[in-house]
Amino acid sequence: MKLLALLLFVPVAGLAQGDLWDDDDWGDEEQTAVWSGFLEAGAGTRFRSDPLVEHRNTLEELRWRIESQWQPSRITLGLAADGGYDSIENDWYVDIRDLTLSFALGSRIDVKVGRQVQTWGTGDLVFLNDLFPKDFVSFFSGREDEYLKAPGNSIRVSQYSPLFNVDFSWTPVFEPDDYLTGERFSFFSPLAGDNVAPLPPLSASEPNESFSNGEFSLRLFRTVAGREYAVYVYRGFFKQPRALTTTLEPVFAPMNSFGASLRRPAGPGLLNAEVSYYESRNDRSGTDPFMPNSQFRLLAGYEWEAKPNFTVGLQYYLEWTLDHTALMENSSWPQFEPDEYRHLLTNRLTYRAGLDKYTWSLFTFFSPTDQDVYLRPVFTYRHSDQWSVTTGANLFGGNHQHTFFGQLQDAGNVYLRLRFNY
Amino acid sequence: MQRPFMLTLAGLTLALGVHAEPLTDADDITARANLAAYYSGADGRSEVRMIISDAQGRQQRRQFTVLRRDVDDGGDQQFLVVFSQPSDVRGTTFLVDKHVDKDDDRWLYLPGLDLVKRISAGDKRTSFVGAHVFYEDVSGRRPSDDTHEFVETTDEFYVLRHVPLDAQSVEFANYITWIDRDTFLPMKIEYQNAAGKAYRLVEVLGVEEFDGYATVTTSRVSNILSGGTTDMQFRYIRYDVGMPADVFTERSLRNPPRDWLARPTD
Repeated sequence: MKLLALLLFVPVAGLAQGDLWDDDDWGDEEQTAVWSGFLEAGAGTRFRSDPLVEHRNTLEELRWRIESQWQPSRITLGLAADGGYDSIENDWYVDIRDLTLSFALGSRIDVKVGRQVQTWGTGDLVFLNDLFPKDFVSFFSGREDEYLKAPGNSIRVSQYSPLFNVDFSWTPVFEPDDYLTGERFSFFSPLAGDNVAPLPPLSASEPNESFSNGEFSLRLFRTVAGREYAVYVYRGFFKQPRALTTTLEPVFAPMNSFGASLRRPAGPGLLNAEVSYYESRNDRSGTDPFMPNSQFRLLAGYEWEAKPNFTVGLQYYLEWTLDHTALMENSSWPQFEPDEYRHLLTNRLTYRAGLDKYTWSLFTFFSPTDQDVYLRPVFTYRHSDQWSVTTGANLFGGNHQHTFFGQLQDAGNVYLRLRFNY
Repeated sequence: MQRPFMLTLAGLTLALGVHAEPLTDADDITARANLAAYYSGADGRSEVRMIISDAQGRQQRRQFTVLRRDVDDGGDQQFLVVFSQPSDVRGTTFLVDKHVDKDDDRWLYLPGLDLVKRISAGDKRTSFVGAHVFYEDVSGRRPSDDTHEFVETTDEFYVLRHVPLDAQSVEFANYITWIDRDTFLPMKIEYQNAAGKAYRLVEVLGVEEFDGYATVTTSRVSNILSGGTTDMQFRYIRYDVGMPADVFTERSLRNPPRDWLARPTD
């Protein structure tokens, strides 16, 4: 029987070998534009409804991504755009994530102009010197992690040299975070002393368009013997509308940021450390109750592979609100102001199995000072190069309604996404 | 001045080796096999495609271009891997600074997030992009991580057995290599577990000469226990193209070097 199986199998195996590659097409590399992307259906719902928000569901959308790149002569044109229907916003949408023109100036300078996603810094889901826009609504509602980073319209110039490299990014019109507006998630308002979900949703007025109201981001960086050093400077605004006008309208307060980071191997893993100083330009003494105070931020993290395919990451993060006494003395709602020291601990556990077909991950934020917690369990099954399915949850808990995760206690949700890559 | 001389010397000994008496020193054979498999030329480029088949016959594909530059022959190396398939990893790039005296430095660039992610040193013997191939198979295992025993010489092969110095850091108890006596390419590698059972097999199925170097063009990695295999083809291979060190930096992660990635036309 075994022999028979073997005899039958050999010619089949021979055929399979001949057919294995089925063609001699290695692709016309970079000569013509290649179109790719995905189709995705996503659904997510709250564990319990939020009395302030009409929709119990947090995610109900169809998404079609197209991506391409053209390289006529020495320039590169890039495109990545999403379109689809979002039944929570009850609207069709087009979201361009990348529409850029890239080229080199001489041998050491790269320029990228247009709508683009930018990232730097060493934190894992914790950002100090990365002041590019974030989309927290996507992050909390169960979209792919990619959508936490929102695109901006920028000119990025990178200069590379043996001494150090320079990244300079200019965003002429301020790009705020996608903050909580009350449309999908309610949020805490110190004015109301409670969660609110205004109608129409909150839309903070953005700074007037002018050269000096643009965003300027600078990074100097260098890698020496596996150690990555960087220095950062930013001039712009706090990315969330944390300031109030005299008529109590939320606005974005001007700020400068200065920081530095290090990432290096240490023992069996990777160590990262980052600091930043946020200077609240219109409230340097911290006495203006309608302006956020200056802050000092610190991050230290370590990541290692504890077992094969099982990675553990730990981070400690500190937000030190400066001039805290002045803040408390002048605040109209001192009970809702942040502690002088906000400590945050994070933990990421990732386990991959079956040749990376199965990925389990759990990311935990826990603040002992805010007494709140945010858990992000995610499971992804990559069935094939085309099909994958992701399911996960966003779980929030806290003892106070006014803390960052505490305000989201009615936002806890579970979601499922099905994706077809083409 | 030292490099060309070293290369010439290595070339000479290789050439002489073909006709000389069979070698018996396992360390020497391993060192030559390491050079033949990973250090041909001062640098090199190749396009690679993989078919990953699971035990049920379901297939996945990967395609990428690898650029390599030797810092020292037989020593430190740099690798840049740029993916073109499948669509969900298209544009992803992978940079390795391989070291012989310490852990490698590895970075992955995820274009959707514009994120340069660093990978910790541990997972060298885990799946490379979902294939049966390990990270360590791509950039090479350090000869100094194992002890090498001479087993036998056949008409075609030197057969060696390798035992890890740190058994805790790897999933195998030992592995046996069949090294071609002419080219010094390892043609078959069989990994055995603590029970002495072969569970993983790497086979070379095709070899061609490029720019004077015998080079693997087809190979297969099999997981004997699960029945899964990854088949690999290597094409558009060139050596000694003169790549400078600055091809292997963060700049290339974000902005892959078109001139060096361009497919050779001849």
